Amino acid sequence: MSTRDHSTTRRGFLQSAAAGVAVSAMTHPAMAQKQPPVALEEYSPTYFTAEEWTFILAATARLIPSEGDGPGATETRVPVFIDLQLAGDFGNAADWYMEGPHVPDAPAQFGYQSPLTPAEVYRAGIAEFDEWCRQNHNAPFAELDAATQDAALTALQKGDIKLASTQGASFFGLLLQNTKEGYFADPLYGGNHGMAAWVHIGFPGARASYLEWVGIDKPYPLGPVSISGERA
Amino acid sequence: MKTLLKIIGLLVLLGLVAVAAIAFVPIRATPPQGQVAADFKPAEGQGEYAMRLADCAACHTAEGGKPFAGGRPIESPFGTIWSTNITPDPETGIGGYTLDEFRHVLYDGVRRDGAHLYPAMPYENYRMASEEDVRALYDYFMNGVEPVKSEVKKTALDFPFNQRWGIRVWDWVGLASPGFKPRYNNPVLNRGAYIVETLGHCGACHSPRTPIFAQDGTDGTSDGFLRGGEIAGWSAPDLRGAKSAPQLWSASQLKAYLASGRNNHSAVTGEMSLVVQDSLQYLTNEDLDAVVAYLRHIGDGDGGKEELPASGEKPAPDATTALLNSADPSMDLGPRLYLDNCGACHFTNGKGADGVFPELDGNSLVTADQVTGLLHVILNGSRLPSTRERPADLAMPGFGKRLSDEEVAALATFLRGAWSNKAGPVDTATVAANRSGS
Repeated sequence: MSTRDHSTTRRGFLQSAAAGVAVSAMTHPAMAQKQPPVALEEYSPTYFTAEEWTFILAATARLIPSEGDGPGATETRVPVFIDLQLAGDFGNAADWYMEGPHVPDAPAQFGYQSPLTPAEVYRAGIAEFDEWCRQNHNAPFAELDAATQDAALTALQKGDIKLASTQGASFFGLLLQNTKEGYFADPLYGGNHGMAAWVHIGFPGARASYLEWVGIDKPYPLGPVSISGERA
Repeated sequence: MKTLLKIIGLLVLLGLVAVAAIAFVPIRATPPQGQVAADFKPAEGQGEYAMRLADCAACHTAEGGKPFAGGRPIESPFGTIWSTNITPDPETGIGGYTLDEFRHVLYDGVRRDGAHLYPAMPYENYRMASEEDVRALYDYFMNGVEPVKSEVKKTALDFPFNQRWGIRVWDWVGLASPGFKPRYNNPVLNRGAYIVETLGHCGACHSPRTPIFAQDGTDGTSDGFLRGGEIAGWSAPDLRGAKSAPQLWSASQLKAYLASGRNNHSAVTGEMSLVVQDSLQYLTNEDLDAVVAYLRHIGDGDGGKEELPASGEKPAPDATTALLNSADPSMDLGPRLYLDNCGACHFTNGKGADGVFPELDGNSLVTADQVTGLLHVILNGSRLPSTRERPADLAMPGFGKRLSDEEVAALATFLRGAWSNKAGPVDTATVAANRSGS
C-alpha cells in the first residue's frame, strides 16, 4: 500500500496546527524553547507503552541515523512527534472514513483499507515485529545491533516479513512516513527540535516572505523561524 | 487672636454657603439654539442620521448588548464611567424625559434629577448642536428605539470625583457658549465644521486637554482644536499639523479612511474603529466631502495632492529597507523580528499594501508618544470594522503568544526608528505593563 494514503490532509493539518497553537499558547506563555526539554529516555509517552517507546526510539534512530550527514531522528525528537500524533486525531483516524468493506489490494485511489486506526497499527505492528525479532534473533528489535536492525527493517519494508496483525495496513510505510514528518514538521508538534532539520536543508521556515529575494541568484542567508517564533 | 478666629470662622461659613449654592441651587438650562417651528416633525430617517453623526452607540451600546441600553465601561483618568441606558424605557431609560430635559442633558450635561454628568458625555460639543438636530434626536430616541428595561452599573468614582456637584464648577470654567455659528462663506465648510465640532465630537478625543481636563478649544478658531489627544493610553493623533495624516493624504484617501476605516496608507485601530463602524460609515457622500474639506481647510499644510499611479521606476531603498532586504544574519533582534513576524504583510519597505496592510513608515500609531496603541496592536492584533463600502473585516493576528516582552520591546523600538520614523525606544517594563493590562 502506498504511504501516500496516510498523508494528513491539508485541512487536517490546519486543524491540528490550530489546536497546536492553542495548546502551545496555554503551555508556552513566553518562548518555552529556552528551557531544555526532558530527555527522550525520561519522556513519559502519551500513547506508547514503555516497551513500544523503546522500539520507536530504536527504529527511528535507524531510519534517520545520527551518524553521518545532518542530525538524526533522535536529536530532532522525532519519537515525541510520533507519540503525540498517535495520541491525537491522526492516531485515532478521527476524520478518516473507516467503515468497511476493507479491501487490502484495492487500488491506491480507494484510500486507506485497514479497519485499524494508525495508533492500532503501531500497537499491533510493533508487537508482531518485535516477536519476529525475538524468534529470529533471540532479542527484541531495540536490543539488536545496528546492522541486524537495518536488515530486519529492510526485510519489513520489502515485504519479506509479513505482518498479519496490521490487517492490510503497512506498518513500515506508516513508520517511515511519520518519521520523515516528525523530522521536517514545525517544532510545535514535538519533532524537528531546534529546527535542526530545517537548518540542515536550508529551509527558512515559517517566515513566508521572500518577495525581495525573487530573482536574486544566491542562497537566502537567514536561518529559519518556527510557527511559535523560535529562531535558529 | 479672637479677631483672627472670627475672620477664619466667617471665611469657613462663606465657603460653606458657596459650596451649598453650587451643590443645591438648580442650574439654568440652556435654551434652544435657533428657531424651529413648534410643530416640527423630523423627516424620515433624520433622527437616526443625527444619532449616527453623534455616535451615541459608541458609548451607550455595550459590546454584545442591546442598542443604547448602556453598560459600556468608559475608562477615564479618574476611574471607570459606565454609560447609561438611553432607550425610552420610562424607569431605567429616558422614556420620561421631556424635550427640554433631553436638551438640558445634551447642552449642559445635567440629568433630569439635576445631577451633573461626567464630561465623558461630550456635552462640551453637543451644546453647539442645532435645535433641529436636538429635536430629531429626541424624536428618534422616544419613537425609533426599542425600550429596554435594564439597570446599568452605577458609576462610582473615588472621592473627590464622586462629588458630582463639583462638575458644576468645572462646567462654569470649562464650557464654551452654546450654539453653532457658521464662520465661512462656503456652505460645504460650514457643514463640515458643524459635523466635526458639534455632533461628531471629534475634539473629545483629538483635542488636547487643558490642565482641568477640558477640551483645549471646541472649534476651528482655537489653536489647540484637534491638535492630538489621548484616550485610554492611546494617542488620538493630531489632525491639523502639516505632517499629520489628514493633511498629507489626498482628499479621496482621507474620505476612504473615514468611510471604510482603511485607505492606501493606513487602517483604523482602537476606539476609532468604533467611530467608523457606528458613525462615519453612515455619513452621506456630501457630508463626508464636507468633513474632508473642513479638516483640510483648518490644517497647516496645503492638503495632500491626489496620487498618480506609480511609475515603473522603483526608488533606491532607504537604509532600513536595505538592511531588511539583505536578510543579514548579523542584524539586530528588532529587524530580525520584523522579518520573522511582520514583513510578510507590511513588507521590507514598510509600505504594506493599499487598502489591506497599513503603512508602518510614517504611521501615527507607530510613532505616537503614547506607545500603548502600538503595543496593543502587536500583542493582541486588530480587526477592521465591516463597513458598507468595504465589508471585509480584515484582521491582523496578535503576536503576544509568539513574542516575549523583550522581543516586543525590541520590535517596537525598531519600528519607531525604521524608515523615516524617528520616535524613541520602548522598554521591556512598558511592554510587560501593557501585556498584563490588555
